[in-house]
Amino acid sequence: MNTLRATTFLIAATFAAPLAAQQSGGRLDIVVQPEPPGLMMGLVQNGPTQLVAGDIYESLLRYNSDLEPQPSLAESWEISDDGLTYTFHLHDGVKWHDGEPFTADDVVFSADVFLRETHARLRASLAYVESITAPDDTTVVFQLKEPFGPFINAFEAGTMPIVPKHIYEGTDYATNEMNATPIGTGPFKFDEWVKGSYIHLVKNEDYYLEGKPYLDEVFYRVIPDAAARAVAFETGEVDVLPGGSVENWDVPRLTAMEGVCSTGAGWEFFAPLSWMWMNNREGPTSDVRFRQAVMYAMDRNFVKDVVWNGFGKVATGPVASSTNFYSDDVTQYDYNPDKAKELLAEMGYGGEAVRILPLPYGETWQRWAEAVRQNLSEVGINAEIDSTDVAGWNEKTSQWDYDLAFTYLYQYGDPALGVSRNYVASQISKGSPWNNVEGYENPELDEKWAAAAGMVNAEDRAAAYAEIQKEIVDDVPVAWLQELEFPTIYRCNVKDLVTTAIGVNDGPRDAWVEE
Amino acid sequence: MWKRFSSNIGAMIGVVLLLAVIGIALFAPLIFAHTPWQMVQRPFLTPFSMDGLPLGTDTLGRDVASQLAYGARVSLLVGLVSTLVALLIGVPLGALAGFYGNWVDEGAMRFTEFFQTIPNFALAIVLVAIFEPTLASITIAIAIVSWPPVARLVRAEVMSVRKREFVDAARLAGLSRPRILLTQVLPNTVSPIIVMASLMVATAILLESSLSFLGLGDPNAMSWGYMIGAARTVIRSAWWLSFFPGIAIVITVLALNLIGEGLNDALNPHLSRRGKA
Amino acid sequence: MSIVTVILSRAFKAFVTLLAIAVLNFCLLHAAPGDPAVVLAGEAGAADEQMIEQLRERFGLDQPFYVQLGKYVGSVLTLDLGYSFRQGAPVAQLIAERLPATLLLTLTAFVISLVLGIAFGVAASARVGKASDSLLTTLALLFYATPLYWAALMAVLVFSVWLGWLPGFGYETVGAGYTGLARAFDIAKHLVLPALTLGLFFMAVYMRMTRASMLEVSQLDFVKTAKAKGLSGPAIRRRHILRNAILPVVTLAGLQAGQLVGGAVLTETVFAWPGIGRLMFESLAARDYNTILGVFLVSAAMVILFNIVTDIVYRLVDPRIGAKA
Repeated sequence: MNTLRATTFLIAATFAAPLAAQQSGGRLDIVVQPEPPGLMMGLVQNGPTQLVAGDIYESLLRYNSDLEPQPSLAESWEISDDGLTYTFHLHDGVKWHDGEPFTADDVVFSADVFLRETHARLRASLAYVESITAPDDTTVVFQLKEPFGPFINAFEAGTMPIVPKHIYEGTDYATNEMNATPIGTGPFKFDEWVKGSYIHLVKNEDYYLEGKPYLDEVFYRVIPDAAARAVAFETGEVDVLPGGSVENWDVPRLTAMEGVCSTGAGWEFFAPLSWMWMNNREGPTSDVRFRQAVMYAMDRNFVKDVVWNGFGKVATGPVASSTNFYSDDVTQYDYNPDKAKELLAEMGYGGEAVRILPLPYGETWQRWAEAVRQNLSEVGINAEIDSTDVAGWNEKTSQWDYDLAFTYLYQYGDPALGVSRNYVASQISKGSPWNNVEGYENPELDEKWAAAAGMVNAEDRAAAYAEIQKEIVDDVPVAWLQELEFPTIYRCNVKDLVTTAIGVNDGPRDAWVEE
Repeated sequence: MWKRFSSNIGAMIGVVLLLAVIGIALFAPLIFAHTPWQMVQRPFLTPFSMDGLPLGTDTLGRDVASQLAYGARVSLLVGLVSTLVALLIGVPLGALAGFYGNWVDEGAMRFTEFFQTIPNFALAIVLVAIFEPTLASITIAIAIVSWPPVARLVRAEVMSVRKREFVDAARLAGLSRPRILLTQVLPNTVSPIIVMASLMVATAILLESSLSFLGLGDPNAMSWGYMIGAARTVIRSAWWLSFFPGIAIVITVLALNLIGEGLNDALNPHLSRRGKA
Repeated sequence: MSIVTVILSRAFKAFVTLLAIAVLNFCLLHAAPGDPAVVLAGEAGAADEQMIEQLRERFGLDQPFYVQLGKYVGSVLTLDLGYSFRQGAPVAQLIAERLPATLLLTLTAFVISLVLGIAFGVAASARVGKASDSLLTTLALLFYATPLYWAALMAVLVFSVWLGWLPGFGYETVGAGYTGLARAFDIAKHLVLPALTLGLFFMAVYMRMTRASMLEVSQLDFVKTAKAKGLSGPAIRRRHILRNAILPVVTLAGLQAGQLVGGAVLTETVFAWPGIGRLMFESLAARDYNTILGVFLVSAAMVILFNIVTDIVYRLVDPRIGAKA
């Protein structure tokens, strides 16, 4: 294991000028899993697409591992004291990959026209925006209707990818032929996509940052079988296994190899938190005592140590501890089968069948569901696993056809962006698996969530969120499981790969290979 | 007949192996103190490293030997039931086609060809995926993709039996045609069907394990395929997790094949082996 | 009937079969739980009703079932396989990109299994009852009883990871820039393991079949006559027995083409072989109907092609056979 060294690098890369001179040249082979459905990031924002297209498209800002904004397409920016006006000053001389100049008009088109239509998650944040204007070619101003604390976190490449106006204006975005050969401003250009095999990106020679990128080319390799991906890394076919591309059980074996480093960093922006939705509407899960019993019945430390090989952290509530506004001043649900049995007896649970819906994302999640089923059956809950694929999972959760359903969601750096959507009543709507699927309704808390989002002062927000966490953890609307950690595994001669809060997604910009 | 069968060494080995597997399957709850899902020890215990856990533990610390025994139940059950269902579809269809001929034959054979044209494993995947993996859906999917050879075999057999003298005799005696088919013709096709069925059970076990390998196993039923599917990602660090169920499949399929061949030699000493398609 | 009329009548039957497959699978897929619009919206990481409605409209899912079916069958009749909304490309193009890989894999496996199967079968039958016969039959039984995917995993472990002789996955060396012969050689190297693991199972089947068939034919009268005429053992086997014994094997091989193509799904998954089998499996989880249906149609067409080929081979081997065989 070389985690320590990797971490040192990270710190060096983030806070100090790099000591060693970066070497130009070389290629990187990175696993992408599953194969992305498309690379036009304005249309598709799933994980694999962001991994690849994060080198092609950029947004105004990047974020370091403390979630502080860093320059990207925007060189500098100001926020007015009332929190209503965001002014961005763009880099000079930026060009699209087809040679056209990039201007503030592209930003206005992307945020105000294109993404409003295609990007559901951004649309929620844009609801706070009064106007987006471009006073000149290198300045963009976002004017808000009311203060929205997390707005500064909305300028990440996957959240607000800037797309070329000259290609998309006035066309049908979804069927535009240029979607197959994406044009961005990023450090790498799209070259070739052999479906089922690899995606090839080449260095953008006209990139606006002097000397960058260092790499000549990046290959994103599609290898459908987890075991084959591990073999590909072992035999030297690929250099980087982004988080989640091999099963957890393989991680210790691979990281023990010579010249192999790993890091858990690069997920701070997403801070994936897993839980089981418990159907609050009907069945035994509608009783808060049953939900508490589930929390006590689960040996979550066992899962962390065995299923996740020690990666991650048992969750205490809805907010991930690595993000802002986390509070640990909440009721702790330690493994306590006796207490679970007491609660079940108290509510008079009569052995109704409870269906567990695992997340269909591979063996780790399957084993996890099996462990939970075993834990639950040991306190007398009649649990069985519902088997399904990705489509079935989407259907069942979004149609509320489940009792317990595994999931994990990204937090996007702020509770107002990634947390509250799962607990407020206004987010109860059939058809989406990303909102308040459990059907939890608490009008009092709804008001508190809304108030916290609109506060300008960070300290006020922290206090408000602490209060919310304390209350909601007693209600157990969902069974919080674990803050997930997806270690990135790479060869140690690959330097500066993970330097931001979104890790490998925009890592190749600064990465270089030591000969 | 039994004499001929019992003098076939291969077939007898097959019988012994199969009886052993069936025995383990039947008495699994008596032999093992814990269910295949119970987490009993630390994970990844190697075989023979701890008393009471002869085949080690899996990724969650569950008893591999117990999983193997309980898995035998599911694998055998799926193999048997799906073969029965396939026979229920294939035998009547093939018998009608072969006996009545003409448009009945034409229609039935087109239907059969149709199912043989769809890549069968692909169809099984789609069926199980859309009806969600449960023992029932897996069994039915396997049956649906494996009946066409039965229909072809039965049709060919019925066509040849139909022309024999005793059938003519029965017709002259005034028996109705359905009656002739049921009482005179079909009984004479039983032996090749039995041979084929024994091989089909083997194929069905393989199919079930292939489906499980692709993640289409019933998560509430421990089967050998499920074990291999769960273990394939740790094949480098824990070989025994996929090795033992793999061997169990090989042994069972081998046993069924040996028995099938023995039956074939004993029942149809002169019959071609064309039926194995 | 001449070969031409045979092919024509086969082609017509094939057309009807393919159409029936299109209709049946269309109905099957639409009976499945799981809405492609919800899946696609879900993949984007956030979904609201507006987005799902937009997608439904774009997929034509807002229309009644029979309209969707009619439209699909209509477009299939004009050889249009539709559009994959998930991949943002015409299905025909997606399949065309992947079909060569699958054809290469299945054809190679088909030829290997048939040639080796017949060769070993003949060899075994010539030495019936001897040790080498038992060895070959036992080996064939073992191949037959070993799960395909398991053999594939083991082959990767041994030949790729431990020995380092052959690449363990993929279609060619990515980014090596080979052309011409060098590229062909590179692809051939990648092809060895998948084609062998896929072929071995069927080789076992054909070998047992050939052996049994050889033994059976050798009991027939005309062989006895040939023997009486004083022909040598190998000559009889070559000229008389093999020709007759091979017929049922060829028929069987044609019938099993469907299994071969189906088996490619497993092989392609383990070896990361970029073929249509994997395309189908991946499209299934996304409920990418048009792509799944397209793959079904194309692979069924492949099975029909294999059948026609074996049919022609059959006729070449035995010209006496009429069209009704």
